[in-house]
Amino acid sequence: MADTPLRRGIGWYRGPVLVVALLTSLLFYLPFLVVVATSWTGTSFIIFPPQDFSLEWYSTVLGDVEWTDAFRVSLWVSAAGTVVAVVLGTLGALALARLRSRAARRWVRTLFIVPMAVPPVAYAVGLYSVNLRFAALQENLTLLILGEALLAMPYVFVMVSTGLGQADPALRPAASTLGAAWPLIVWRIDLPMIAGHMVAGAIFAFAVIFDEVVLSVFLAPIGVKTLPLQMLDASQEALSPELTAASTLVSMLAVLMLGAFSLISNRRAARARRLARKAATA
Amino acid sequence: MTIALSIQDVHVTLGHNEVLKGVSLDAVPGEFVTLLGASGSGKTTLLNVIAGLQRVGRGHVLFDGANVERRPPRKRKVGVVFQSYALFPRMSVGENVAFPLRAARRPGAERRRIAQEMLELVDLAGMAGRTPDSLSGGQRQRVALARALASDPGILLLDEPMAALDKQLRERMQVEIKRIQQQVGITTVAVTHDQAEAMTMSDRVAIMQHGRLIQVDSPENLYRRPVNEYVASFLGEANLFPADHRGPLPAGAGGPASGTAVIRPEDLVILDAAHPADRWSIRGVVRLLSFQGSRFRLELATPEGQVVVCSLPPHAEVGALVPGSEATLGCAAPHRVHVIRASDAEPLLGVAA
Repeated sequence: MADTPLRRGIGWYRGPVLVVALLTSLLFYLPFLVVVATSWTGTSFIIFPPQDFSLEWYSTVLGDVEWTDAFRVSLWVSAAGTVVAVVLGTLGALALARLRSRAARRWVRTLFIVPMAVPPVAYAVGLYSVNLRFAALQENLTLLILGEALLAMPYVFVMVSTGLGQADPALRPAASTLGAAWPLIVWRIDLPMIAGHMVAGAIFAFAVIFDEVVLSVFLAPIGVKTLPLQMLDASQEALSPELTAASTLVSMLAVLMLGAFSLISNRRAARARRLARKAATA
Repeated sequence: MTIALSIQDVHVTLGHNEVLKGVSLDAVPGEFVTLLGASGSGKTTLLNVIAGLQRVGRGHVLFDGANVERRPPRKRKVGVVFQSYALFPRMSVGENVAFPLRAARRPGAERRRIAQEMLELVDLAGMAGRTPDSLSGGQRQRVALARALASDPGILLLDEPMAALDKQLRERMQVEIKRIQQQVGITTVAVTHDQAEAMTMSDRVAIMQHGRLIQVDSPENLYRRPVNEYVASFLGEANLFPADHRGPLPAGAGGPASGTAVIRPEDLVILDAAHPADRWSIRGVVRLLSFQGSRFRLELATPEGQVVVCSLPPHAEVGALVPGSEATLGCAAPHRVHVIRASDAEPLLGVAA
């Protein structure tokens, strides 16, 4: 066997390490593969290994108003919630970068991240009591969208803060000595620099909101269901292959989205590397 | 447009640390002044005070006689070249240089024309379309300089402008910056800890220590007539000997010293030990002799333990100066010896401690 650095580095430990890695990835992917497989079944109940092969359940799901409506509600809640989360998270990160006192920075950072740690149920119950107070909020999705946005906001905040932290701290003073007022600095210096991080934060936020079910249970108006809520209901009734077919569709969508995102960011990284090489030879 | 700068008794306190303790400095229009000092001496803080990036605790900053302490940085019309250059990464070189004009809401055609002129001034014509991260360190510095000058500021501030460059490029850029500064005729304040850089570029150098200006003078005067021992040994190599008002005291003489004589290495010569002249001399053991191209550098250890440095011409006969041998040094030009009088030096040293 060739004497590779890996071999010299960890020696015979390699074997067990590889086995553990393989088992871990199986633990991740096997359940998912089972779900995908059961959605092909021709039977009217979930069974593994699947019997026959048919796409019947997919057409059922796509043709069922209950499922498509839930999907549409989820898309709308996620999109609106993402926009609110991106705006709030970005504003928070911009403000954080402008704080001079180190103690104040620590406090603000903590306060913006805490919503990640609060159990969604506690949060949902709190918002639910708000919901009861204001009849105007019971009929529409406003409170659900706001609640979901606040749950997703820390992800955007962390992403954008990271982006701002990587920038040269002299950029903003430099712009101000060049005569720029703050709106110009935000628009021409800060935003172009963090645009990529905002997109990454938005994707995270969208995924978080799309999957979130607890707030929907409490805050969705009567008769309106988000997709996770619909799935939860479906799993509590009969375990029909409809559920696994819907899960597969949603997972495919997520995989496609993440794939497209990593493709874009890979291209950008390659471009940055090319530029750096050019500068080194200049 | 270039302005006169006047800093009057400026105090700045950061946290519990008094960074500037009453600094006063004046610069006439078009003058190049360099703040020179060790790190932590407050020189960058003073630069930020001029730029408006640092609030003044007490004292005044005047541009052409007008108080500007309350004026925010964007209204001061200062051009700053930051140590990191702070080029905007998402803009092209041309957009970077035109940024101050965009901030002043000048029309697009004018922005492009001035950016073009500025890039020509710094020898980067044709680079307007490049991005900053495709430039070398020296080119980035030129872009930063062009951007700082684009809106025709009254004063140019350079914060450690050479820190990110390698040594050869550094020497070229010092001359280049001086050329551009003279061509534009702008009042300039630079910060550095490199004495060679300060002496190459400046009309006057201000030596800073512990938040105070110790001496502000032309490079030549700083070298020849330092006000205290710190300045003497900060600029170039200096041999310090106890002295009275006539000159250095002979070694071992019991007389009270009323000052310190500063003798530069190039003012020391080797005396013939057999004929000790009736003038001042110092004996010692050779520690090290090194050839440095334009001179030999001789290090001598005296019996008192002091190390004396002497420069010898590059063609001198040095065969006898092996380490361990004895040599006697005398002063080549006694009238050039500068004596720091203790009464002058003491208050300043007391302050510095």
